[in-house]
Amino acid sequence: MLYNKIKTLYPQITDKDFDTVITLQNNSDGKGDYIKVWNHPTLPRPTDEELA
Amino acid sequence: MASIITATVASGLTQSADNSGVLQLASGTGNLVTVPSVTGTAMVSGNMPAFSAYLGSNQSVSSGVNTKVQCNTEEFDTASAYDSATNYRFTPLVAGYYQFNWQLSCRNSTNISRISCVLYKNGSGFKNGADIFNTNSTIGYKVTGSALVYANGTTDYFEFFGQVQTTAGTNEFTAGSGADSYFQGYLARTA
Repeated sequence: MLYNKIKTLYPQITDKDFDTVITLQNNSDGKGDYIKVWNHPTLPRPTDEELA
Repeated sequence: MASIITATVASGLTQSADNSGVLQLASGTGNLVTVPSVTGTAMVSGNMPAFSAYLGSNQSVSSGVNTKVQCNTEEFDTASAYDSATNYRFTPLVAGYYQFNWQLSCRNSTNISRISCVLYKNGSGFKNGADIFNTNSTIGYKVTGSALVYANGTTDYFEFFGQVQTTAGTNEFTAGSGADSYFQGYLARTA
């Protein structure tokens, strides 16, 4: 799962971050989960390879 | 005084006019309606959109992801403005102020740490519903939201998203035979 992959990649990320600077989304259109918003002040947005 | 248009059984349609600038409509005797001197669209039941749709079967979702709730079963949709087949969105074609209500029910096989529900407008979160944190239970929990919001009557659309956060296990938005997770809206007044 995307949420768990990100938490594994960046263990320092908190649930609060997912409520404030990171938004994961699924539009129920068959395309799956994706990062809609990544505004974390210090951590770079994960690449597709890192999330694969 | 007023100019009055009256419909009666005895006389059919009659009218009386004066120069007051006030218009009244009468049906029979003593049932007067004064047409207000405002600019707007007269609303009757036929042109006031209202819909109610619910999640027809349990929806599996990922933890920590805002997921559109697939309210795919309509109870009513007076203006055919709700898409229950593909996008699960409400696109009213009458500009005005709409009241929305939504409820999300979730469950997981392990402990749930958070449940939330959000009304989206034009693809982005717009009004947050209730959150529950640290539920420490596997049973179903419900969160609700309601909001009065403006729609332009052309392009604005509304969707219902929910999120459940857990550390493991399978997450589901639950249907509950239509009573658990649902999305409703109606025109409260025109613009």
